[in-house]
Amino acid sequence: MSEYYPGTSIIHRLDPRTKFLIFICLMLIAVFIMNPLILLGIDIAILLLYVVAGIPLHRVKGMILGVIPVIIMFVILNIFVIPVKNPTIIGYIGSYPIAWESIRAGLSGGLRFAIFVFFSRLLTMTTSIGELVSALTKLKMPAEAAVAIGIGFSSVSILIEQINTIKEAQMSRGAPVESRNPITKAKALISVIVPSIYLTILRGLSIAKVLESRAFTYNPSKRTFRKIVKFTKLDYIVIAISIGATLILIIITKFYHITY
Amino acid sequence: MENLSQTGNKNNEYIIEIENVSYKYPGSDKRALRNINLKIKRGEIVLVTGRNGAGKSTLCYLLNGLIPHFFGGELEGTVKILGMDTKETPVSYLSTKVGLLFSEPSSQLLTSSVEDEIAFPLENLGLPPEEIDHIVNKILELFELMKYRKHPPYALSGGEQQLVALATVLSMNPEIYVLDEPTSVLDPIGTIQVIEMFRTIARMYNKTFIIVEHKLEEFALLTTRLIVMDNGQIVYDGSPYEILTKKAIELENLGLEVPQIPLFAQKLLDKCRQGVESSLKLPLTIEEGFEWFLSNIYRFRSCFNSLLSGEIAVNVAKEKSLEEHVQVRGEPVIEVDHVTFIYPSTNTIALKDVSLKVYRGDFIAIIGHNGSGKTTLAKHLNGLLKPTKGVVKIFGMDTRKTPMIELIKHVGYVFQDPDKQLFTAKVIKELEFGPKNLKLPQDSINKIFEKVINELGLKDLLNENPFFLSRGDRQRVAIASILTMDPEVLIFDEPTTGQDPKGRREIMEVAKKLHKGGKTIIFITHDMHLVAEYAQRVIVMHGGRIIMDSTPRNVFKMVDELKKIKLKPPSITELFLKLEPQGLKVDKIPLTVEEAINILGEILKGD
Repeated sequence: MSEYYPGTSIIHRLDPRTKFLIFICLMLIAVFIMNPLILLGIDIAILLLYVVAGIPLHRVKGMILGVIPVIIMFVILNIFVIPVKNPTIIGYIGSYPIAWESIRAGLSGGLRFAIFVFFSRLLTMTTSIGELVSALTKLKMPAEAAVAIGIGFSSVSILIEQINTIKEAQMSRGAPVESRNPITKAKALISVIVPSIYLTILRGLSIAKVLESRAFTYNPSKRTFRKIVKFTKLDYIVIAISIGATLILIIITKFYHITY
Repeated sequence: MENLSQTGNKNNEYIIEIENVSYKYPGSDKRALRNINLKIKRGEIVLVTGRNGAGKSTLCYLLNGLIPHFFGGELEGTVKILGMDTKETPVSYLSTKVGLLFSEPSSQLLTSSVEDEIAFPLENLGLPPEEIDHIVNKILELFELMKYRKHPPYALSGGEQQLVALATVLSMNPEIYVLDEPTSVLDPIGTIQVIEMFRTIARMYNKTFIIVEHKLEEFALLTTRLIVMDNGQIVYDGSPYEILTKKAIELENLGLEVPQIPLFAQKLLDKCRQGVESSLKLPLTIEEGFEWFLSNIYRFRSCFNSLLSGEIAVNVAKEKSLEEHVQVRGEPVIEVDHVTFIYPSTNTIALKDVSLKVYRGDFIAIIGHNGSGKTTLAKHLNGLLKPTKGVVKIFGMDTRKTPMIELIKHVGYVFQDPDKQLFTAKVIKELEFGPKNLKLPQDSINKIFEKVINELGLKDLLNENPFFLSRGDRQRVAIASILTMDPEVLIFDEPTTGQDPKGRREIMEVAKKLHKGGKTIIFITHDMHLVAEYAQRVIVMHGGRIIMDSTPRNVFKMVDELKKIKLKPPSITELFLKLEPQGLKVDKIPLTVEEAINILGEILKGD
């Protein structure tokens, strides 16, 4: 949530609770639908929502390219680890048979993963922490907890910067933190993780001091929120469409047996 | 305690009353505050100074009730704020009366936009949203932060972040403002921004201010009262003018950064005791120093003539030989050739066509504001960053073609914060980390270790846990952990930020010792006094370019150019530059008070 991309698009104007609901709908779809083509369509649709939100796609290039190795990993796992009933063999690696079903299952697994990544990133890029905190309190979370979550999200970018500096400091002492050998790398990362934990604890203590000094414990149950999220007509429309579309999609795929 | 001012309008009410207060942090045997008695009236602007560990922050925490409510520990005596006993009043209530600004901007910003930040305490107080919006808008106007209202605070500069934090404190409209080292981690521009804003607020609102600071020169004239703390006690309390002019030498001995003009005047008087009446009114600012010096110069003439000048001549001669070093250069060890660097993640151009040669035996200070490219340049010098365009050669090796592990054998990089690199449970392990990564042969490791341990005085700490050492010791361990890799060039990236003046000098003394032992030193700093005292070559950066590269004397002579980019030479240098057109001709402009006195001795003796 540290990467909030300010804007006034339809996506930005939606109540965070509406976006949570869309997220749940997408989860349902991903549970019921395994057809890689439909999943790919949903992935592309989410990417189009970035465009609607006014976020240039090159800002999320890393995310889009990042899911490709994950999809490949899913496919490989499916080929070598998960057995298939009545396989359709389409080829061999050495003498190991490759089943079309494995590739299909791998693809759909990877594409489902992409749906979660793409949408949760969209959610964080179009929802300010203030709105999120307000939405959480509307969902009956105690004010202290909601504010704490907000502070946590706000700290992310500071922590990332901190970790980068630590990494550079250890690289300057020859620590192989960017080694290709995973064991060497894991060992070297200890030198990054320990100071990170130490600094995070220090930061926690100083935040506690600041919270006290900013009257946080004044009367939490009577705390007000400057931004109060409210459902608008737009939210109701989007909610109706999302639920409707999800149901229709699930029913159609079940009814016409196009699970795959 | 010595009371130097007798101001007393007894009718004014005291809004802070501290009586016989002593305090121990939990788990500590030492008293952080010892028998403090202090009364502050409404509308006073109090500057509190002293070494780190003198009890300044502890005093701040006392005022809004963090002590004892948050920290616990043993508190004796009473603290009353607006008549309320802090022991019986919760912090959340006290904090609406006493606004506390902390020194580290990034650790006190809690939300994700500037306006959310300013609204945060108001939401806590349960104000209706419309009223919060109204206050937030008013404060954004006042602080000229309107254009940043939706920006996340961490994306702003350090100075702007601190302004946001100050705005947040202001939003609660407290009676008393307590600013705990508000500029200690800021660059010169950030410091100016915070001082200006503070000046505005102090003028607009008749509130009470307690400012803890080391930067006496910048803050003294803004305040009405100065309190000097040492070892948990108040040692001086009075008007800033009186204390700074009359006690300059005592304050210097306490390890504080005394404004140079009064220190210079005091030292000059000390040298010329006879023939100068002690009632002379002493100067505080450069302008006062100028007037004072011109109108009193005749008094010192006879004094310097009669002084044994042998000592002075030797000092000046030694100085000269040091300066000549820059002219006689060794071979270049690092060559930066037309380097441009663009950060790929943000697409910002951090270095623009920078060329630089670092010679063996150099002692270089890199100065300039945050964002001017200092750290980006430094990170090119050990291969952490590779140029987007141009070439960096370290001992002849092109950084783009050489693995970093080869480069760091030659160039060591000491990061600002030891907390960001120490990670083992024993000092010795920390020292071994680098050499083991480099796979240095054991016999050479042993040799280097002995040298490093002696040089940095770490013998008794080898089996200690670095996490439990003092900040100064941790810093030394961090430096040692680089030295054990035996690099020829050492880069210190703001090694002194957040330390008190004496602590800063202790670190720079280490650097000086290493330089004498044959190392090439490059340090990044915002502290012009350190540049004046230690550097032999100064590189000034601005907007990703090197705009000056010369001896400290040559650089600090360019007062106007420096002021354009909001850097300031030492006051003593500025004073002598002002005196020059008045007929005080000097071969070389002094950079420190000691130098000024020696140089003056030379001239006046010759007259």
